[in-house]
Amino acid sequence: MIKMKNRQILPVTNADEINQLLRRYGVKFGVYKNGQFKEQFFPFDPIPRIIESEKFKVIEKGLVQRADALNKFLFDIYHGKNIIRDGIVPEDFVYISSGYLPQCEGVTPPENIYSHISGIDLVEGGDGEWYILEDNLRIPSGASYPLIARELTRAASPDVFSENGVVDNRNYAKLLKDTMDFVNRGGINAILTPGRYNAAYFEHSYLAELTGAALVQNDELYVEDNMLWQKTYSGGKTRIGALYRRISDEYLDPLTFNSQSLIGIPNLMEAYRSGNVAIINSLGNGVADDKGIYYFVPKMIEYYLGEKAILKNAPTYLPFYEEDRDYVLKNIHKLVIKDVAEAGGYGVVFGSDLSEEKLADFRKTIINEPRRFIAQEVIDFKDLPILENGEQVMRKADLRAFVLSGETTRVWASGLTRFSRNPDSFVVNSSQGGGFKDTWILSR
Amino acid sequence: MKLLNFSFSTKLTFDNYVHNHSFALRCMPIESEVQHIVNCEMSISPFVPTKITIDAFGNTVTAGYISKEHRFLDFEINGCAEIDLSKSKTDYMPCYLYQSEYTKPDKELTDFYADVSAKCNAKDPFERAVFFSDILSDIIQYEKGVTDTKTTADLAFELKKGVCQDFSHIMLSLLRMDRIPCRYIAGLAACDGETHSWIEVWDGEKWLGFDPANNCPVNEDYLVLSQGRDFGDCSIDRGVMFGAYTKQLQLITSSLTTAY
Repeated sequence: MIKMKNRQILPVTNADEINQLLRRYGVKFGVYKNGQFKEQFFPFDPIPRIIESEKFKVIEKGLVQRADALNKFLFDIYHGKNIIRDGIVPEDFVYISSGYLPQCEGVTPPENIYSHISGIDLVEGGDGEWYILEDNLRIPSGASYPLIARELTRAASPDVFSENGVVDNRNYAKLLKDTMDFVNRGGINAILTPGRYNAAYFEHSYLAELTGAALVQNDELYVEDNMLWQKTYSGGKTRIGALYRRISDEYLDPLTFNSQSLIGIPNLMEAYRSGNVAIINSLGNGVADDKGIYYFVPKMIEYYLGEKAILKNAPTYLPFYEEDRDYVLKNIHKLVIKDVAEAGGYGVVFGSDLSEEKLADFRKTIINEPRRFIAQEVIDFKDLPILENGEQVMRKADLRAFVLSGETTRVWASGLTRFSRNPDSFVVNSSQGGGFKDTWILSR
Repeated sequence: MKLLNFSFSTKLTFDNYVHNHSFALRCMPIESEVQHIVNCEMSISPFVPTKITIDAFGNTVTAGYISKEHRFLDFEINGCAEIDLSKSKTDYMPCYLYQSEYTKPDKELTDFYADVSAKCNAKDPFERAVFFSDILSDIIQYEKGVTDTKTTADLAFELKKGVCQDFSHIMLSLLRMDRIPCRYIAGLAACDGETHSWIEVWDGEKWLGFDPANNCPVNEDYLVLSQGRDFGDCSIDRGVMFGAYTKQLQLITSSLTTAY
């Protein structure tokens, strides 16, 4: 039994029960591998990650600051571009980024909010300091997993949560609904899913249920008079004022972006540009969570808010800058190199895993395409205990925190803690077969 | 300064009924410092209410939705524009400096650029464009039917054949490798009975039109319908519809004449 200050903190001693329930509720994670769709069960570990109240206050402040600065950056990039003119961010990093969409130039989203839901990944270093790993400002997923796991464990042992003073995380639905209501341009809220073969379909349906938003697919939607409508069963139509879309930008409107898209809504961009519908998150956000732009976020915080960044970035080098390139080429064996165009834990290479020959090849690639990569020091992050076959073992874990920007910017007092099941792996992405645990924020 | 009467129509016919048809048209000439639209009328059949917005590139977008079954979509514009090249067109966007979907060069085009740029002594962006176009017009043959609307610059360059759209894309690719901002234009030209394509080159202060397919600077006999990074941003009509049709036929007619 795991105890903290002589109190029981393990809500269930046997994760199997919870995992069976999760299976029954269809809590799965879909992955495409070799062209085939496979649904994977996302295993739950019963030992929670615990963050004390004082520590969380610092994290919270740092995340609010970061999300605010990123929203200001996005507004600036698609309007005045002051941060480029003032030489803080080199223009190449912005305009070469695949997430930058010229079609969004001059388009102002309702209430000027670009990233309504920011999924910010952090790790706790061995020194107890938290570091930002990456920002996810497009369609960050994962909030539903700790929500439902908490629901089930609470049912199994309700006392554990009150006795330990764990902040209730059931308010996520309210935070999300408040955000949708705040930007809604008239009409209902809806969650747009590409359908049940999507990796996060469970989450789409669960969040729709919790927030009272309509769960919709594109074949029941259309744009007329530059407004977005849902066809109703009686042959009528209902206006949609806020669309929480779980489809990426390039598939969203076949008349503006990828014309081959079968999951988009034709002329949605016209309705959005006319200010008749809020799109959550807004279009074009990929330019701000680009791995190359990450390097500049602390500078953005200073530039837009006049404050020092509270949460640190992992020490990062951009081969784009000559000085950094020299360092990277010399120290490649101990760095982690990330391809800025890849996501989901792909395109991440640890120099220490490569042979001398491969390192030499990689150096050449970096010299030829410096803009394509960033390099980071490997952070010695704190391992967390997990239960494996009844034994406690230590594994690498990160935390995805959810920041919601509406009338105010708020951090959800919970989050998705993901761990690697492979003892040697630092990559904790769920697409790479990891598991998750609940994240407890203590109220005192 | 010149007054031009323009008309443009397309007839889109399907071999079976279609429905839930969304469309976005970019066929209304844009208003700019050098191109003033004196009047312009548009008609669409079957009749359907439309909405007009201006997109990020400055194009006039006419959007509509036809839910009922229909077998054709016709639209027509008629009007008069005042063209005055003594004025300057200055609506700049940074994306025009970077390669886009249609203009990304492959190795052959990159090597060709290296070769051509080494021979070019001109400093002025427009003069460089003229120099590149002179060489291109010798090696690329104007020929219809070998390329289509999906053909990229590198593919057309490999074929050494193409139409105005392909000439424009190859030029844009070369100029962007040369770090000269430039953009794609879809429009009407007195010399062409259908729609024409040319480019605009940013000289540091303003846009200058150049017609690579005819290897000549643009004069006041050209009417801009839409502009963007490449053909993808400028499609005169884009649509999505449902139905059991297997073929669609599009007939385009246009005319551009001097108004007296």
